[in-house]
Amino acid sequence: MRANDESAPSALRVGAIALVVCLGYFVGANIGFILRLPPATPSILWPPNSILTATLLLSPPRRWWMYLLAALPAHLIVELPVISPPSLVFALFATNCLEALIGAAAVRALSDAPARFDTLPRVAAFVVGAGMLGPFVSSFVDAGAVFLLVGEPYVSVWRTRFFSNLITELALVPPIVFIVRSAWTRARQASLSRRLEAGLLAASIVSVAVVYFFGHSDAADPLLGSPHTPVAFFVPFVLWGTVRFGPAGATLTFLMTTMVIIWAATHGHAGFSMPPSTESVLVLQISLAVSAVPILCLAGLIEERWRDRTGLADRLRFEELLARLSGAFVHLPSNKMDQTFEAWLERLGRFVDVDRMMLLRLSADREVFTVSHAWSAPDLPPPPRTNLREAFPWVVSQLVAERPLIFLSPDDLPRDAKRDRDSLIEAGTVSKLALPLVAGGRVLGALALVTVGRECEWPEELVGRLQLVTEVFANALARKESEDALRASELMKTAILASLNSGVAVLNGGGEVIAVNRVWTRSSPDFSQAAAASVSVGDNYLSVCRAAARRGQPYAEEALTGIESVLGGTRAGFSFEYPAGAAGHERWFAMSVVPLNRAEGGAVVSSTDISERKRAELEAQRSRQELAHFTRVSTMGELTASLAHELNQPLTGILTNAQAARRLLDRAQPDIEELRAIVHDIIEDDRRAADVIQRLRELLRKGESEVSRLDLNALIRDVLKLLGSDTVIRNVNIALDLESSVPVVSGDRVQLEQVLLNLLLNAMEAMAERLGGDRTVVVRTRNTDAACVQASVEDGGPGLRPGTLETVFEPFYTTKSSGMGMGLAIARSIIEAHGGTIWAENSTRGATFHFRLPLGRSGAA
Amino acid sequence: MSEPEATVFVVDDDPSVRRGLERLLRMAGHRVETFASAREFLERPEHAGPRCLVLDVRMPGQSGLDLHDRLVASGRDIPVIFITGHADVPMAVRAMKAGAVDFLSKPFDDSELLGATRQALDRDRTRWASRRRFDGDAP
Repeated sequence: MRANDESAPSALRVGAIALVVCLGYFVGANIGFILRLPPATPSILWPPNSILTATLLLSPPRRWWMYLLAALPAHLIVELPVISPPSLVFALFATNCLEALIGAAAVRALSDAPARFDTLPRVAAFVVGAGMLGPFVSSFVDAGAVFLLVGEPYVSVWRTRFFSNLITELALVPPIVFIVRSAWTRARQASLSRRLEAGLLAASIVSVAVVYFFGHSDAADPLLGSPHTPVAFFVPFVLWGTVRFGPAGATLTFLMTTMVIIWAATHGHAGFSMPPSTESVLVLQISLAVSAVPILCLAGLIEERWRDRTGLADRLRFEELLARLSGAFVHLPSNKMDQTFEAWLERLGRFVDVDRMMLLRLSADREVFTVSHAWSAPDLPPPPRTNLREAFPWVVSQLVAERPLIFLSPDDLPRDAKRDRDSLIEAGTVSKLALPLVAGGRVLGALALVTVGRECEWPEELVGRLQLVTEVFANALARKESEDALRASELMKTAILASLNSGVAVLNGGGEVIAVNRVWTRSSPDFSQAAAASVSVGDNYLSVCRAAARRGQPYAEEALTGIESVLGGTRAGFSFEYPAGAAGHERWFAMSVVPLNRAEGGAVVSSTDISERKRAELEAQRSRQELAHFTRVSTMGELTASLAHELNQPLTGILTNAQAARRLLDRAQPDIEELRAIVHDIIEDDRRAADVIQRLRELLRKGESEVSRLDLNALIRDVLKLLGSDTVIRNVNIALDLESSVPVVSGDRVQLEQVLLNLLLNAMEAMAERLGGDRTVVVRTRNTDAACVQASVEDGGPGLRPGTLETVFEPFYTTKSSGMGMGLAIARSIIEAHGGTIWAENSTRGATFHFRLPLGRSGAA
Repeated sequence: MSEPEATVFVVDDDPSVRRGLERLLRMAGHRVETFASAREFLERPEHAGPRCLVLDVRMPGQSGLDLHDRLVASGRDIPVIFITGHADVPMAVRAMKAGAVDFLSKPFDDSELLGATRQALDRDRTRWASRRRFDGDAP
C-alpha cells in the first residue's frame, strides 16, 4: 500500500544523506576522541558506530552499502593519523560496519518499525538487536583484529569494545533517530509550556552536574561502584524526561546524563581518579547500560500506554465526528450538500491536522477529474480547479482504478509518475493521502489530504477511519447525483409539458388530476362553459365529467365513458372532437386520452384547440356544398327540356280535363259520374306536377346536408323518374340491373342523387353521337362485400380516351362544348365525403363509372 | 246512304292527357278514338269517312313526327294536328311542310284544339266527298 516501496528518491537526496552521514561520522569520531581516556585507545563512548546504526535503521537495506561507503572517508581522515598500522584502520572500519549491519538487520527482523522506540516490543527489539547482538558479535572480530595487528590482549580488548559499543548504541542511536525523524516537527508543534518544561529539564541536569561535579571537593571515595555513583543523581531527571516527554525525553535526558558523567569521568571530577582505572570505566559503562535498558523500556511502555490512551480518545473523538458526519449527510437535501461538504472538509482537515483537504470529482465520462470542494489552511491559497488528469495523470489513473494513494513525499512516487512528482513539488505538496470515493461500483471521485512543506505519516488507523469518511461522502455524492438527475428529469418533464400547445392533464388511476401544464390551466375544457381553469390538480376529472353530464352538457358523457375505458384498461386510447362555448362562438377541441404506462395506472388527457382546423373544415364543406349546389343548378339547365315536358304533361292534362268539365257543366243535365272522373284525373295530374316540382326543389335546395338511411335501388329509380322525359327526348334506353336487395347506406339523398344524375346524363351524352344501334345505358347495383355496396353506370359510347381514366375526375375536365367540367369532380368529392370511392373504366361497350359506398354509418359531408 | 261518321283519332302516351282530349272532343260532338302509341294506331284498319289525327310529338318508341312521315309516305292523307310540350321552330316547319293542319303547344286552349279539329275534319270531308264522287261508291 505504501507508495514508497517503489520509491526512487532523487540522486541528489541520496547524495545529501551520504554527505550528512560522512560529516556525522567525522564529528562523532572527534567527539569520541574527546571522550577517550588518555592514553587508552578505546573511548568510553564511540559515536561513529551509532551514526552508522541510526543511518541503517532509517534507510532501506538496498541503500545501506552507499551510506556505509560514505562514512569511509571520514573514518580514514580521523583514524589514519592516530592509529597504525593502516590495516588496523580498515579493519576497525569493517568491524564498525559489521556492528551496524548486524544491529540494523536484527532490529529489522525483530521490530515492526525499526526506527521507532515507542512500544515495549520495539524497544526490546532495539535493545536486543542493535544494543546487544551487534556489539557482542562485532566485538569478537574487533578484538581479533586488534589482537592480531597490535597484539593487545584479546579478552581485554573484546570487553572494552563490547561495553563501549553497548553504551554507545543504547545512549546515542535512539536520540539520533529521533532527531532525524521528528525532532523538528515535535519542536514546532510543541506548546510554549512544553518548551519551557524541556528547557527547565535540560537546565536542571546541567545545574545538578555543575553542583555535583564541581562543588564536590571530597575525592576520598575512589570506588565508582559505591552508592555514591553519580548516575543515581541524574535518575530523577531521566525519569522526568521519560514520563513527561516519552522516548524522546528519555533518550535525550539519558544522553545528556551520559555525556555529562563521561565528560566528568574523563576530566577527573567528582570522585573519578585520574586517570580512572579500567575497572572504574567498566563499572561506569555497565551502570550506564544497566540504567539505559529499563529507562528505554519504561519510555516505550509509557509511550505505548499514552498512545493507547490518546489513541482511544482519538478514536472516540473520531467516531463521534463520523457519527455527526453521517448524520449531517442523511436526509440532507442535495442543494445544501455543497456547503456541507465544505464545512466538513474543514472540520476533518483540522481534526486530522493536514494543510489541505479536497473532494475530487470524476466526470460522468471519466475524462475530467477536478477539485469540487476544498478546505485549505488559512495561509494557503485555494487549490486550482483545473482538470487534474493533466497535472497528475498517474495519481488520477490510480484513483480511477479504485487504488488508494499514500505517500510521505513526492519522492515516493514511482519513476513513471514524473509528471505528477513535478506538479506536486511545484505545488509544495509533501505528503498526500488520496482515497477513491466509490458508490455502486463506480468511482465518483476521491478524498485527498495534503500537507504542504512538511511530511505527514498516514497511520493505518487514520487511513481506516478516512475510508469510513469516504463511504459517507461517496453515498452522499451518489445520492446528490441521483437527486440532481431526478430534478433534471423533473425540470425536463415540466419544460416539455409547458412547451406543448395542447392542454395536458395527467390523471392517476382513480381519475384524479395529478399534473397539468400551462395551456391546460389557461384553457382546459370542462364541458361546463364555466371558467376555463376550473379543473386543476387535485380535482377528479371523472367527477367533473359526471357532473357536467348530469347538467346535460353534451359530449360529457362520451368523454366520461372514454376516459373510464382507458383508465380501466379496456381501450388503448380514446379520442373525440367536441364543441364548447356559446353557440356561434363555440370553440372546438380534440380530446385524446392515452394510458399512462406505469404500474399505478393513470392516463394522460390532452386537449387541443382545433377551432381553426374545424372552421377550415366547415368552410371547405360549405364551399363543397355550394359548388355541389351550383353544379346541380347547372345540371338542371341541361334537364330543362325534360323538366318542361314533365310539367307540361300534367298541366296539359289538367287544362284539357278542366275545359271538358266546363263544357259538361254547360249542359242542361251534366253527367255527375263523368265530372267525378274528370276531377279525379285533374287531381292526379296536379299531384304529378307537384311531385316534379318537389323533386326539382329538392335538387335545387341549398344548405346543410342531411344524413338519412337510403336504399340505393330506390334512389336510382327516383333519379330515373326525373330523367324520364330526357331519355325520351334523347331516345336513350335505360336498362336496370339491380341487386334484388341492397343493404341500406347512409348518406345525403340529394347529394347522392346528384352523383347518379350526373353519371346518367354523362352516359346519355356519350351516346349522343351514336346514331341508331344500341342506345342503352345500363345501371347496376351489386353487393360487393359485407362492407360495401357498389353502383355502376355503363354507356354504349366511344369510351374514355386512354390516360383519362383518372383525369376525368379533375375539376374543369370536360369534353363538352358547354358545361364547366365540374360534374365528376363534385361527384368524387361527394362520394369521398361519404367514405366511398369512385372510379371509371372502359368496358366492351363503352365507359363505365362505378362508385362504392360503405354500409351503415359513414362520415357524411 | 248517309255520310259515314267523322272520327277524331288521338295518339298520346300520357293517359291523363289522352282522356282529357277524348272528353273535350266528345263534348264538342265528335266521335273519338284514342291510342297510347303510334304502333297501336297503325294497327287499326283505316277509317272509312272523314277523320283527323291529334298527335303527340314526343313519345317513347316511335315519335309523332315519325308516324306522320310514315302516313305521308304510305299515302294516307289524314289531316294531323300536332300537340307538343316542347315545340321548336324547325320541328314545326318540318311538320307543316309535311302537311300538318296545325301545331299546338301544350297546354293549349280548348277552343284552339276544337277549331283546329273542325278545320281538319272539314278539310277531310271535302277530300272525302271528292273521293266519293271520284270513286262513285262508299268505302
